[in-house]
Amino acid sequence: TMAASPALLFGDRNLLPRKQSARLDKQNDLGWKLFGKVPLRENAQKDSKKTQKEYEDKVGRPSKPPSPKQNVRKNLDFEPLSTTALILEDRPANLPAKPAEEAQKHRQQYEEMVVQAKKRELKEAQRRKKQLEERCRVEESIGNAVLTWNNEILPNWETMWCSRKVRDLWWQGIPPSVRGKVWSLAIGNELNITHELFDICLARAKERWRSLSTGGSELENEDAGFSAADREASLELIKLDISRTFPNLCIFQQGGPYHDMLHSILGAYTCYRPDVGYVQGMSFIAAVLILNLDTADAFIAFSNLLNKPCQMAFFRVDHGLMLTYFAAFEVFFEENLPKLFAHFKKNNLTPDIYLIDWIFTLYSKSLPLDLACRIWDVFCRDGEEFLFRTALGILKLFEDILTKMDFIHMAQFLTRLPEDLPAEELFASIATIQMQSRNKKWAQVLTALQKDSREMEKGSPALRH
Amino acid sequence: MAETYDFLFKFLVIGSAGTGKSCLLHQFIENKFKQDSNHTIGVEFGSRVVNVGGKTVKLQIWDTAGQERFRSVTRSYYRGAAGALLVYDITSRETYNSLAAWLTDARTLASPNIVVILCGNKKDLDPEREVTFLEASRFAQENELMFLETSALTGENVEEAFLKCARTILNKIDSGELDPERMGSGIQYGDASLRQLRQPRSAQAVAPQPCGC
Repeated sequence: TMAASPALLFGDRNLLPRKQSARLDKQNDLGWKLFGKVPLRENAQKDSKKTQKEYEDKVGRPSKPPSPKQNVRKNLDFEPLSTTALILEDRPANLPAKPAEEAQKHRQQYEEMVVQAKKRELKEAQRRKKQLEERCRVEESIGNAVLTWNNEILPNWETMWCSRKVRDLWWQGIPPSVRGKVWSLAIGNELNITHELFDICLARAKERWRSLSTGGSELENEDAGFSAADREASLELIKLDISRTFPNLCIFQQGGPYHDMLHSILGAYTCYRPDVGYVQGMSFIAAVLILNLDTADAFIAFSNLLNKPCQMAFFRVDHGLMLTYFAAFEVFFEENLPKLFAHFKKNNLTPDIYLIDWIFTLYSKSLPLDLACRIWDVFCRDGEEFLFRTALGILKLFEDILTKMDFIHMAQFLTRLPEDLPAEELFASIATIQMQSRNKKWAQVLTALQKDSREMEKGSPALRH
Repeated sequence: MAETYDFLFKFLVIGSAGTGKSCLLHQFIENKFKQDSNHTIGVEFGSRVVNVGGKTVKLQIWDTAGQERFRSVTRSYYRGAAGALLVYDITSRETYNSLAAWLTDARTLASPNIVVILCGNKKDLDPEREVTFLEASRFAQENELMFLETSALTGENVEEAFLKCARTILNKIDSGELDPERMGSGIQYGDASLRQLRQPRSAQAVAPQPCGC
């Protein structure tokens, strides 16, 4: 009936050909089938016929035998009111009238469309409701998590942080509002850096920037061994790299709200650790910390994070030690993913090719930022081992497509991971990675390899990198 | 992945930080300027099949990190490279001054025969120029390098730089100066040329073409 009512608006005159068609259908079922598509369901056909019947009843006129004149309209003397009108309207006067079968078929198709649209609308409404419920559920669980972190875990950090319950909550991701606090506590402050020390380092860095920009001579000699040119190059590079750190966020670049903070932390660090200085990759780490902590606390976390053995090895670019880390990684790679490992070996794809970027930036450059933060969450809890476990999780997640690729495609894929990498799937994949090889844990494997490489160095100094 | 090509060349893009190495590669592969560019940590990759002098060549390009400190790492990527783009920034004398060190690395670690093209990038920033064309072309001559000034922003000479390097390598193969079958040549035969190799030698001998440098 829905389909019929708009057509009633047009008056009797236009209805005649349709009535004729209805009549013809009833009289000649074969004709209908010849010209129209055989309907998919018996119901559809019945419904449309019923509609047609109701339609005739409403108009209240019995159908007359067809008169050839009435089949051709003289003029299109009205404006169709809607697309519905267009669909149910007959052909313009300059064209032959729709055959009855075709008109009937069109009406039926229209009805089917309406039914489908209604179905879709209902489905969409259900989907939206479900989505809303899901969002409420997530928000509620985040809200609950925030309460748990704030009221239960943080006040009792020392006793609680390694409990089963906290570990589980931790794995699910730390709520952004407590993330900075948890990271700070988990990273710790072995170096005993105070806010005052940060201020001193920053003041020194600023003095240096001033003296360099005015072209003055060096104020201090205590960093002898690092030429003015080197230091200048490093300061210039910091400036350059800040503009190239999360450029799409537009918050760290010149004029952006976090530009000065990032500049301060990197500058202060080169004064705090002139022996390490600024190394590319640091700006990404500092930036992620700034997004979660105040400047001084970010500096404290930054310095302590870089002081961890794995980070120190990489940021000092101690190639020999880096190779040991890669070798340890390969032990667990072969253990967990033997087929992919063999495929990589066959194609000469060495782990440094993808691991350097991942480890130096702690995945902040290669994974979506919110996902990277979740990796950081567990890295703060589990230490360096988790960085390599994550790498294996990524490889496992994409194992099927990687095994079909050649060297260059794998290298391109791994140095530019898909932007829509699904967080839950990745964490599920990481969870399946066993960080145990022949009853040896990560730290044991690494120590054994380090011992080996030290002995090799002693044995033949020429082999040193 | 059923690509057919006659040769595969390993290329490096080397030079100081911020000279536009990744942007040159991006312009060559995607034909557009990379606006929001991160700095490269370690190495990134690009590949493209090009047509040079009637031969199809797949370029496998290794785009390396520019910071001095990373050199001990990036050096390990030089092995077996057939060609290199040695990049400096025409608006930064410092990046020009370090060219000699980069070149030494390339020749000692890749191969003495590595074909290097010097690229003075950021040609579009001519008002801020610190290195003249003449000076750089003299350096190129003294060190037997090809030379182009390029702009990753406008795309000027970017394609030319890669193609010129590839063409020179092909000419050296044709003249016998380079032997693709030598270990670490940075050159591999593709399927297409393996088919050709089964034909008698005379059939595939091609006269070296003038490279037009």
